[in-house]
Amino acid sequence: MSSDAALLERLAPTAGVGARAERGRAFFDAHGLPDPKAEAWRYTPVTEIRAALEHAVPAPSGSTSSTVADRPLIDALAGSHGGPRLVFVDGLFSAELSDVEATPGGLWIGDAEALRPRRAPGAPAPQDEPADGFHALNWAAGSDVAAVLVDADTHLDVPVHVVHLSTAGSTGSDGPDATAGADATVTHPRTVVRVGAGSTAAVIESFVGTGGPSITNSSTRVVAAEGATVTYHRVMSEPAEAIHVGRTGIEQAAHSRVAATSVITDGRIVRNAVDVVLGGDGARSDLSGLYLPTDHQRHDNVVTVDHAASHGTSTQRFKGIVDDHGRGSFSGHVIVRHGTIGTDAAQSNPNLVLTPTAQADTRPWLEIFADDVRCTHGATVGRLDDDALFYLRSRGIPTAQARAMLIAAFAAEVVDSVTPESLRDHLSTWLHTRTVEVSS
Amino acid sequence: MLSISELTAVVDGKRILDGLDLEIAAGEVHAIMGPNGAGKSTLSNVLAGRDGYEVTGRVTLDGVDLLGLEPEQRAAAGLFLAFQYPTEIPGVGNMYFLRTALNAVRRERGEPEISAVEFLTLAKENMARLEMDPAFLSRSVNEGFSGGERKRNEILQMSLLQPRLAILDEIDSGLDIDALRIVANGVESLRSPDRAMLIITHYPRLLEYVRPDHVHVLTDGRITRSGDHTLALELEEHGYAPLTGSAR
Repeated sequence: MSSDAALLERLAPTAGVGARAERGRAFFDAHGLPDPKAEAWRYTPVTEIRAALEHAVPAPSGSTSSTVADRPLIDALAGSHGGPRLVFVDGLFSAELSDVEATPGGLWIGDAEALRPRRAPGAPAPQDEPADGFHALNWAAGSDVAAVLVDADTHLDVPVHVVHLSTAGSTGSDGPDATAGADATVTHPRTVVRVGAGSTAAVIESFVGTGGPSITNSSTRVVAAEGATVTYHRVMSEPAEAIHVGRTGIEQAAHSRVAATSVITDGRIVRNAVDVVLGGDGARSDLSGLYLPTDHQRHDNVVTVDHAASHGTSTQRFKGIVDDHGRGSFSGHVIVRHGTIGTDAAQSNPNLVLTPTAQADTRPWLEIFADDVRCTHGATVGRLDDDALFYLRSRGIPTAQARAMLIAAFAAEVVDSVTPESLRDHLSTWLHTRTVEVSS
Repeated sequence: MLSISELTAVVDGKRILDGLDLEIAAGEVHAIMGPNGAGKSTLSNVLAGRDGYEVTGRVTLDGVDLLGLEPEQRAAAGLFLAFQYPTEIPGVGNMYFLRTALNAVRRERGEPEISAVEFLTLAKENMARLEMDPAFLSRSVNEGFSGGERKRNEILQMSLLQPRLAILDEIDSGLDIDALRIVANGVESLRSPDRAMLIITHYPRLLEYVRPDHVHVLTDGRITRSGDHTLALELEEHGYAPLTGSAR
């Protein structure tokens, strides 16, 4: 048996439920995990993730989540943002931790079981294919789905909060020989957000954990119908030893607007792929991100915007703050399809490298098959400004605090654009704690 | 109050300060003048604790050895440097910066921290005296400030922090005559029997507004001549050339 087949057998022992799981299984059978040498996986340590998966165990099914998690814990880890909430504990929906009852008109949220009866009988089954081996594994092995469905012409004024909590970790493998992910539990969260034509909606998706090694292989799909306005904030703040391979697929119809922010606050290996297809004319996508690897952490952002229709606008603004032996990377891929006109694509990736052993990688990748295009990109890798640091210190501000002020200032452009205020405050507090730590 | 003896500073093997001695008593205002390259800015940087200099000699402020202290500890000990080129810090709000600095210094002095509301009142009073628009509080530190606005922001910091020793490095450079008068009045208003000031300047014009008790000429890294304020007038008339010639 090949190692890929063994992996599938281990992580998805039962034949998947439904056609999507079957397609995932078939794709994985054919392709397995991505080749570590593949361009899109260049900065992700696939081999290390594979090794962790080979020692991992699927999260126990049917665990009673209320025994390990309660509402104050969820609030503390993911924040409380005042709207409906879907909470998944180790991959399974937790009705008692979720708030699905009092949803405003035009909004439906729920898990896989609640979603099933909503499918119209005789509706054609979706035919989409997984993007890669991890995505396929998510389909094959995932057991639940978080669904956020917004009708047409609906304007929601509070965000929907989707929380994925990992609780289980290794017991007794913390010795010096323990490898990353040894006996970690692995979950495959899947989230679908569909926003109807002309509607406005905001979704916050938080990935959090209570400690111990965990592997999260997540997939989120955001579909914005014609003229829809969607705000999507993805906060990946799992514990320091966690591994997360995540993919967000965003599909935009004509004149839709999506603002998506990804913040990686922690995690030993985190891959954040964002794949956007602007499929209808006049769509706009504003993507931003912030990542702060420290210790020996690897945070990899792989962003692709496919301008498949005319008059599309896209911006990518990802900021890296790399400390200690951390390594942060950003690959920004822009595709402008043949036959389209009026594309405007901008990309920036400023990096702040705090130690000589930290590393920031940045890679713009523009594939332009049309003439009428405006495409800009810029990347910088710099240290904290010595002059600014001296100026602050000369006014009596202690070094650690002065450094934290400068790091927060660097991150402010991303953090300040986040709504609602409760999430912005949650991130600011985290950033402050984190920067004072790294500076002292 | 400030005592400097045998101060030398070397950068990249080049001796910029070469055995400088200076004594400043509380309540006194001293001016150091000198041609370009004489070591004026090096002196202010070395006193404030900027990295990059090999320093020997002895500097004490109120008996405290300054050279062994970090820049923030020197500020806590009462030293303040008004920068020749105040640094822009995008993303750090001026008000947040000023209050953080004031509270850091107050903490070191064992005084209670000041609340945001109290601070705002205090800052606005001081800004009014410097004819500064309160809107400067909500901007990033020095970002997009004109030369004159930056210099006023320096004097604002000095008036908030109330240092024992203020070093004003070319505070008059880049100012038009009106801005010079406002900045000079701000400096003059901070003159006090408890405070010493060291004004480093290229041109004597500032000294018409803030009359120093003592004027020193810095050439080739040491003080080569000292006198009262009339020395500044003499320099205006004859320039530094006769002095640099005789200093060798």
